[in-house]
Amino acid sequence: MSQPDEPTTGGTERRIGVYICHCGGNISDYVDVEAVREALKDEPGVVVSESPVFACSDGTQHDMIDDIRAQHLDGLVVASCSPKLHQVTFRNVAKRADLNQYAYTQVNVREQDSWAHQHDRAGATEKAIGLVRAGVAKTRLSDPLEPLRIDTVPSALVVGGGVAGLRAAIGLADLGIQAVVVEREATLGGWVGRLGATFPDDTSGADEIAGLVEQIKARRDITVYTSAELTGKSGTFGNYAAELTLHRDDGDKVLTVGVGAIIVATGFDSYLPDVGEFGYGIDGVVTLPEFKELVDAAPSGQLSYAGRRVRSIAYVYCVGSRQPAGGNEYCSKYCCTATIHASLQVARLDASVRQYHLYRDIRAYGRNELLYNSSREAGSTYLKFADDQPPAVAKLAGGGLGVTVTDLLTESRELTIPVDLVVLVTGMVPRENAGLTAVLKLPVGSDGFFNEIHPKLRPVETVVDGVMIAGCCQSPRTVGESVAAGLAAVAQSAALLKKGYAELEPLVATVDPARCIGSGECLTSCPYDAITRIEWDGRSIASVDPATCKGCGGCVPACGQDAIDLLGYTDAQMRAAIEGLIAAEPVKEAVS
Amino acid sequence: MDYDVLVIGSGIGGMESSIKLADMGYRVLLVEKEASVGGRMILLSKVFPTLDCASCISGPKMSSTINHPNITTMAYSEVQGISRTADGRFQAAIRQRPKFVDWAACTGCDACQKACTVAVPDQFNANLAARRAAYIAFPQAVPKKAVLERAGTSPCIGACPAGIKAHGYVSLARAGKYEEAFQLVLDATPLVGTLGRACYAPCETECTRTKLEGPVPIRLIKRFAADHHYEGTTPDGPAIEVAEPNGRTVAIVGSGPAGLTAAWQLARKGYQVTILEKREQPGGYLRHAIPTYRLPHEVVDADIANLTSLGVQIRCNAAVSDPEALKAEGYDAVIMATGTQVATRMDVPGEDADGSVNGLDFLDAVANGAAPDLTGKRVVVVGGGNVAMDAARVSLRLGAAEARVAYRRTRAEMPAHHVESEDAEAEGAVFELLVAPTEVLTADGHVTGLKLQRMRLGAPDASGRRSPEPIPGSEYTLDADLVISTIGMSPDPAPFASLADKRGRIAVDPRTLQTSVPYLFAAGDVTAGATDITRAIGSGRRAAHMVDRWLTGQPLDGFTALDDRLETVTHESVLARQTAFGHRHPISGDVTLAPNPRDFAEIEAPLSEELVRSGAGSCLDCGVCSECQECVKACPAFAIRLDEHEHLSDVEVGAVVVATGHKLFAADLKPEYGFGKFPNVITGMQMDRLLAPTRPFNTVLRPGDGKVPERIGYISCTGSRDKTVGNPLCSKFCCMYSIKQNQLIMGALPLADVSMHYMDMRAAGKRYEEFYVQAQDMGAQYIKGRVSKITEEPNGDLLVRYEDIEHGGNIVEASYDLVVLAVGIQPNRDVERLFGEAPLGLDEYYYVAEPSAELSPGQTTVPGVFVAGTAAGAKDIVDTILHSGAAVAQVAAHLEHHHFSEEVPV
Repeated sequence: MSQPDEPTTGGTERRIGVYICHCGGNISDYVDVEAVREALKDEPGVVVSESPVFACSDGTQHDMIDDIRAQHLDGLVVASCSPKLHQVTFRNVAKRADLNQYAYTQVNVREQDSWAHQHDRAGATEKAIGLVRAGVAKTRLSDPLEPLRIDTVPSALVVGGGVAGLRAAIGLADLGIQAVVVEREATLGGWVGRLGATFPDDTSGADEIAGLVEQIKARRDITVYTSAELTGKSGTFGNYAAELTLHRDDGDKVLTVGVGAIIVATGFDSYLPDVGEFGYGIDGVVTLPEFKELVDAAPSGQLSYAGRRVRSIAYVYCVGSRQPAGGNEYCSKYCCTATIHASLQVARLDASVRQYHLYRDIRAYGRNELLYNSSREAGSTYLKFADDQPPAVAKLAGGGLGVTVTDLLTESRELTIPVDLVVLVTGMVPRENAGLTAVLKLPVGSDGFFNEIHPKLRPVETVVDGVMIAGCCQSPRTVGESVAAGLAAVAQSAALLKKGYAELEPLVATVDPARCIGSGECLTSCPYDAITRIEWDGRSIASVDPATCKGCGGCVPACGQDAIDLLGYTDAQMRAAIEGLIAAEPVKEAVS
Repeated sequence: MDYDVLVIGSGIGGMESSIKLADMGYRVLLVEKEASVGGRMILLSKVFPTLDCASCISGPKMSSTINHPNITTMAYSEVQGISRTADGRFQAAIRQRPKFVDWAACTGCDACQKACTVAVPDQFNANLAARRAAYIAFPQAVPKKAVLERAGTSPCIGACPAGIKAHGYVSLARAGKYEEAFQLVLDATPLVGTLGRACYAPCETECTRTKLEGPVPIRLIKRFAADHHYEGTTPDGPAIEVAEPNGRTVAIVGSGPAGLTAAWQLARKGYQVTILEKREQPGGYLRHAIPTYRLPHEVVDADIANLTSLGVQIRCNAAVSDPEALKAEGYDAVIMATGTQVATRMDVPGEDADGSVNGLDFLDAVANGAAPDLTGKRVVVVGGGNVAMDAARVSLRLGAAEARVAYRRTRAEMPAHHVESEDAEAEGAVFELLVAPTEVLTADGHVTGLKLQRMRLGAPDASGRRSPEPIPGSEYTLDADLVISTIGMSPDPAPFASLADKRGRIAVDPRTLQTSVPYLFAAGDVTAGATDITRAIGSGRRAAHMVDRWLTGQPLDGFTALDDRLETVTHESVLARQTAFGHRHPISGDVTLAPNPRDFAEIEAPLSEELVRSGAGSCLDCGVCSECQECVKACPAFAIRLDEHEHLSDVEVGAVVVATGHKLFAADLKPEYGFGKFPNVITGMQMDRLLAPTRPFNTVLRPGDGKVPERIGYISCTGSRDKTVGNPLCSKFCCMYSIKQNQLIMGALPLADVSMHYMDMRAAGKRYEEFYVQAQDMGAQYIKGRVSKITEEPNGDLLVRYEDIEHGGNIVEASYDLVVLAVGIQPNRDVERLFGEAPLGLDEYYYVAEPSAELSPGQTTVPGVFVAGTAAGAKDIVDTILHSGAAVAQVAAHLEHHHFSEEVPV
């Protein structure tokens, strides 16, 4: 590290610190980090160059702060992982050292370099040098920016009136945040509202929903709209205008509510087998929800189906789940335990019913294992079939149903079990939600469920600021897990809204009024409707609303006059970055 | 109210709860028992199913936690008890454990860690590697600060009356730092060589290793360090720190171990010290009583040279008759350390005849070149103490035909150290037990014999020993040419008559060692009667400390500075924390004990360096920290505080989040899998450490022999779904972490075969099934069926016997290089202590009960107390995050409802 020089006074010479992270081997195993540091240390403006093992570690953060202060740095570049992971981390480092946080540039040399070029160390190193040089070049031209501060509305919209949504609404109101619930159906409660006893402790789903609805009715800070949908959203995080369409007998009514955050808890659909799939369509072959309804409604002492007494049942697991590539590849998580629980209900109704569970893996995780144990003790028989040898369901010649399975637990013998009823243990599928997805611009995963920002540590947030997801719209879950997610979304909303204001990125488009000729070319390019025409100096020109602009940059190339620039990514910065990137020369292996 | 919320535990659940609550504006107190926040997640390699590096995603969370303006983090602290007040708030008692490092000064540079001489299993590396007693929890620790682990004071140090850091110098010797070992003893006393030979080593008696096969040879290790130093390997005198002269003068009367030690300590503090010794040569009984075959005079001289090299003046032939006159001579203070100069008389007729002497005079004469020729003479020594043994053994060396030791009780009561009496016997001394002298027989004024009366043991006396009672009519006579009386000694009160107590000792306050004359202090046997060298040294240190305080106008206390020992750890606690012991042959000194020895050569041989290292290597590091002071010297920030104490505080909070996490199943409870016995059977957590970026060996290897494994077997459900270990529950995350590790191993070791023996693959969760399929596509084998037994082959490979369900259900065996036990979750039962009288409700498996787990997850049986994460049962990371979010929402609702905060700060 060089000694601190005299602080620059008014000159244009920048003082930039560059940190190239080893990422504990994630980068340094494939990139010669020292060579990168060596190549950058004399770059114009670079006064500090370091190569920490973990740039994100607290110790290194402190070192950076010390460097920023001692060396009077006015720019910071960290070459590490994706900015999705740590842009905020290092902006906060800058902030804590009183450096403008937008003088920070993150260079991604992990996802975009070391991981991508694991078999070409020299190439990856050369690329890293180029990327970091580009980052330094961009930083050299950075201007101090301040976040846009907007007041937030202490209210939140909950989309979906199932168990997760209703509990979340109460959770919000408990924190002094007005809740608006919008439910597509005419009644609240979703799937759980239709259930009798649920696992793990036999509480009635219908009773649980009734209890929640009771509480909601008693509270003035929760407003519920049934037969209603979210059909539009404008404004910005912290202060959205949500357009609700209420489907009423006398036609649709449109209503706009101001909300600070939106919690999406739209739930799931149950997998519907094709006719013929595991015998579906044959009389006596039912799905899990159909079966559950039958069991819940059965009088004590016996189970009947279509007027016939049921004396034996075969459950075929993983119908619609864990399918081969191209199908529903995911596990629906809840169905093993739900089926085991239903079979226990049956055993309580009529202990003489013979029950056969044809499974792949019993996923009664955690405490649910106890239910699995109970069901075996209650007489259920479990048969395991191989992933590639699913059972076959057919009508038997002599009446009744036959399920043929090769049971791995009985020396792989093929057995045909005659039963009165076959239950296809159907899993969850994502709901058809195209309208909502479009309104909220929610990201959808390859499995069709909504995606969170980070599946491990940020499970309720989405890439859309202020829009949270909870429950089974995100992935198959149990009741307790859905409720926990709903409440976690409440906590996240409160963490955003309790302050009373929110800060938005200032990395937005800006129009140079002198250059703008009011051609209107940019107006159609904005997906967020952030650009409007204004009168300026007697001329009609374009203007960008910074609170609405997402900084996507779509308008910048649309302008024939080069009148639009994106703050933080100005044309000048990007040109400099590109120059930096292509200036890289092949590297000699550094002495290590 | 002090804080809105108390969060207990800073794992991922505790951090998430704290950050969310703090973001909402609540003031959070986060208490973490380890030195770093982060819990278990930071120790993982990567996380499933994204394979994000755990450090990369939890490191920033740790940083955000401690840097959050609304979060106060107390690391290395414990919640001792929480009580709910009448108005629904909580009083929590928090104990900040002493870190022995000033965190305000610590820069996390790890110099202490590098200097530390103690290695203990590293809990942050799942005990795969060692860490130091002075340590930073792990490389990405937040805050990155060091702590010193001190379980207490080691028994050897606790046992030493001189307060010498035996564990410390043993530890230094173990590290080959002999000069540092010497210096450490020197810090207490200049008499290093003397103690290495003549000390009775109470440290060894208390050594925990004694409970196994025998003590660490502590004294001989010290002797080795002293010999090593004096042999000139380090030619420059003692490199001990000495203060600038402070202009004050102290006179010390007497140059035995107490006086020499007091002089040493004061000289180091900058005092001009003069020792006044009445004899011709200094050293007191070290020179004038202890025979040279035990303690050569050159060793005493070398020890005393340490002192004189600091400028201490020793004036011999300078008897002091009036210590108070020394004040008038200009000394600012005086320490009397004149010892016990008067031999107790037998008070029998003939005692003063020619040929009847006391032991002190006898040994003094021998030590000063005036040894009588005892060739062919018969010697009777009266008494049973160490002086008696010395007298008998010296007599034999001077040619005596026989040396009898007449003692009035039995061997069991003999006050001599058992080694002394055994050695005396081995050299030919004969014990006459249960006898008391009644008359020294003489002829022509010369001794001819000793009349003795037989005794029997009666009732115990004040010392607990049974008093001898004469047996009437049992008198008999022993012929003798020399009778040596060694029945006791006491101070000569002449120089301090006005200050003497009724036993002739100088009267002092036992804590301050100050006499009734303020500038006059006393140390050693003159205050306590005859004791031993270590007590005299301890007393000399204390006197010096007190004189310094008195002369600098400070109150006469500061006992922690004088003695920073903690409570001594118990042998049981030390042995209980070991998982295995290597058998060792005890190392002891090689002592030559020939009958009727004829010379005064040192009888004990020094230990070889090899034996010193091996002996020191058997130290169990009872107190963990050895107090060797290397970290104190190494710390560039001067941050080590060995005298730090725990800090207790009481806080009032509005709500509590219990995020105390879980424990992992102790795999040795499944003995059929051989964990703890077969080195190549490891746990899932250990494999995660082998795969982590901060991995201990920088590669995946098997611990037994360091071989890179080619065939790796996993055993799922170790300790889960298993009624035989009392846990029927599924642990939920083990399948997934195993699949994750399977993928990582296949990445790290492309040629390795990975197989997993499973019951059900529970890949239930978003993208988990896809992750499982991906592992299968990469080549991992998943074998349905339980493992019944593992046996170890001579080369360390492991034979796994299992049921191969998918291929006919046969019992077959597979051989693996390395077996990983997918251990599951166990409750952390620390929560049971948290709420004292009104404990938190637990479920039947000792997890925190959630009475309304479906609709109010995180709520507990106590209003205002919430649980986040695995304290309530098995969860993976994302479930813990969601569960924490749920708890947070309800904590906030609880706080809002009760309006505990006047206003929610921003």
